Amino acid sequence: MKPAELREIDRPWRIWASIIIVSILAFSVVFGFLILPIVQGRAAGLDAFTAICRAVGILPGSPAVRQPTSEAKAQPTTQVAWSTDLIRSLGQSTPAGAEVAQACVACHGERGIAADPQNPNLAGQSGVAIYKQLHDYKSGSRVHEVMNGIAQGLDGRQIIDVAAHFAASPRRDLDPTTAEVVDEDIVRLVERGDPARGLPACNSCHGFNAGGPMETPTLSHQNREYLARQLHAFRSDGRRNDIYTRMRSVAAKLTDREIDKLANFYATTLSY
Amino acid sequence: MTHARRLTLAHLWVAFAAFAIAAVLGVWQMWARSPLPAPYLTAQAYFTSVTAHGVSMAYVLTTFMVMGFGYYVAETTLGRPLPYPRLAWLGFALGILGTLMAAATIFAGNATVLFTFYPPLTASPFFYIGLVLVVVGSWIWCGLMIVAMLDFKRVNPGTPVPLAMFATVANAVMWLWTTVGVAAELLFQVIPAAFGWNEAIDVGLSRTLFSWTLHAIVYFWLIPAYIAFYTMAPQAAGGRLYSDTMGRLTFILFLIYSLPVGMHHLFMDPQQSSAFKFLQMSFTALVAAPTLLTVFTISASMEIAGRLRGGKGYFGWIAALPWDRPMVLATGMAFFMLWFGGGGGLINMSFGMNAMVHNTSWVTAHFHLIFGGTVVIMYFAIAYAIWPTLTGRQPASLRHQRLQLWLWFIGMMVMTLPWHYLGLQGQWRRVATFNYADPVIAGWGPWVIVSFAGGIILLASALLFVWNLLEFHRDRAVVAPEHPPIYALAVHPPNRVPAALNGFALWNVLVLVLMIAAYGYPIAQFFIIDAPEAIVHRVTGGG
Repeated sequence: MKPAELREIDRPWRIWASIIIVSILAFSVVFGFLILPIVQGRAAGLDAFTAICRAVGILPGSPAVRQPTSEAKAQPTTQVAWSTDLIRSLGQSTPAGAEVAQACVACHGERGIAADPQNPNLAGQSGVAIYKQLHDYKSGSRVHEVMNGIAQGLDGRQIIDVAAHFAASPRRDLDPTTAEVVDEDIVRLVERGDPARGLPACNSCHGFNAGGPMETPTLSHQNREYLARQLHAFRSDGRRNDIYTRMRSVAAKLTDREIDKLANFYATTLSY
Repeated sequence: MTHARRLTLAHLWVAFAAFAIAAVLGVWQMWARSPLPAPYLTAQAYFTSVTAHGVSMAYVLTTFMVMGFGYYVAETTLGRPLPYPRLAWLGFALGILGTLMAAATIFAGNATVLFTFYPPLTASPFFYIGLVLVVVGSWIWCGLMIVAMLDFKRVNPGTPVPLAMFATVANAVMWLWTTVGVAAELLFQVIPAAFGWNEAIDVGLSRTLFSWTLHAIVYFWLIPAYIAFYTMAPQAAGGRLYSDTMGRLTFILFLIYSLPVGMHHLFMDPQQSSAFKFLQMSFTALVAAPTLLTVFTISASMEIAGRLRGGKGYFGWIAALPWDRPMVLATGMAFFMLWFGGGGGLINMSFGMNAMVHNTSWVTAHFHLIFGGTVVIMYFAIAYAIWPTLTGRQPASLRHQRLQLWLWFIGMMVMTLPWHYLGLQGQWRRVATFNYADPVIAGWGPWVIVSFAGGIILLASALLFVWNLLEFHRDRAVVAPEHPPIYALAVHPPNRVPAALNGFALWNVLVLVLMIAAYGYPIAQFFIIDAPEAIVHRVTGGG
């Protein structure tokens, strides 16, 4: 076939294919961008222009409903707002942090390892977690007779510095000879949770590579008494700075024995 | 053996090896979700397994299958040696390297983010780099397919490109368009975030870019099945293709309407507005057109075959078809599953109804039925059809091949139908275990067990499939005919075809127009408006 002939049989294809596809596009645009928003907007008491702008995404909100208004005041469980700058700073230990840390020595030990096991070890803890707790003490989201006063005396920069300082400190050595043989059901709680009670695995947030909230603290190398006391506090609603009541709902389902055993597990087991 | 055949054999063995491993993992995952106590079950293990299963099935099996089959089609339909065979092997090597890299990161526990790229969760950067290498390997394939077609047209001016090759190139062109979205997401957003160069990531943008790829990629997997429907099934049934033009139109429509439609995966997302969702929904609805064209054309082709074999009356031709031939049997089963899967798909793409099934098991069941069912059963049929021409041998009896197809069909129906039902009950996807002590969830248990049983049947079928392929290589296999006819002739073989149905220039322009309309502003808005970003959450290392 000659090229001219080929062009001749191709012409109607080109023209009609373009017409059909552009028509379908035009139909969808007229419906989706004009007719539907105008009709829906009328029912929602919106003028046509606003409804179209909302449909296209230039104005916020749906073209089909009024923007909800509420007088309710939000009462967040914590006032912490994460930003990339903040998180970056928490990874950088500075001499200023060591200075602020002098205020912590009495209870948390010279190197961030508490002599009294009722108090938490801070050395090697996640900086993000320490920051969150100090911030919560400062704002009153978490209550403690001593810590609230201390945190209120710190400014935002000092909280960052001291959190970064402890995060960079070497954590407590564990003596392998003190590790107790752990019950199977406790290991299962740690690794798999208990679906029958709606309990997620502890390690789904607190383990390595966990995908949980970033402010989740490390539990390994922590003091047994401190861990147990916190779980009891969450269970009795005495501590309530956990977002979405995550820890309160978990702790509420634990028995006394499980709390003791779990605290012991994280305090003594080397592999976590 | 020719170069192209060695290439095909290498690609297909990689594809099916990945498939066999993934099939084992899939059964374990269904077990994990059931009320029966599964071994080795932790959340970490579950998500590692789902990631490996998804990557193997959706990226390795498919990409290597499409590439291997493409080389085969290019050589057998064009009657010319493949251009640049060394480049083809380079593509293969990149694919293998990428696959091994991704597999190593997954099994090291550094990629539990599933096979979808949804930040702010990020895995090890080597997981993403591995998958990028697989895609780069496939781009080489795309280039080679286009070059092979252009060479053919240059040497044979005015001769229509054979339908199977035309469809393969349609797939290559579509794949080049398709991968732009995910490549942009990975290269500019996810990989820098995974390396730690970025602390924050615009999740709205990355989800939008991924949606660009997310629907068309499914058609990339699907097109080999459609090539088999149009060109291999009518031949296997002893008939002719009802219409060559319908075939060309179908593949062109897939190219056009697979791309500006991905936003139907984002109906519940806040970052896109309702008008653009509506626009893409209307285009999605048009994807039904090529599917219905195919159902009509292939049914008509099969009717020709049935009547040639003496079938009478309205339905007598169906019984007269040679159902003992694997390609015919698989086509029948694929169509059966396509009705259910396609129907489910219409629900997914409907802006309103989608809200009901969003993020439920319905969606997972849907893509298992349509991809694992309709598409993969045709992969089996294609393998059975072309393997004798690759090894020169075939088993003396096709009994095991038929058994394998039946097991796959039954297994897939038993697994996916209850799974759809569970989705309607609200069973969510992407979770490792369910709390069967909850009275609402307890009722799901028996249905999950039924699905699990379906999974076991599927695993049996998968293993039998690999065994069947090995049969082609064994000494006891009989010698296969040297040049068996593979591709069907059309009732009216094309002798002059307009350029529009013999190439892709026009259609590329139209795709560009539609993509600008559908994705132009939805992507541009992230640069115009000061969009909020999420803090990257790396689920690797640490501790």
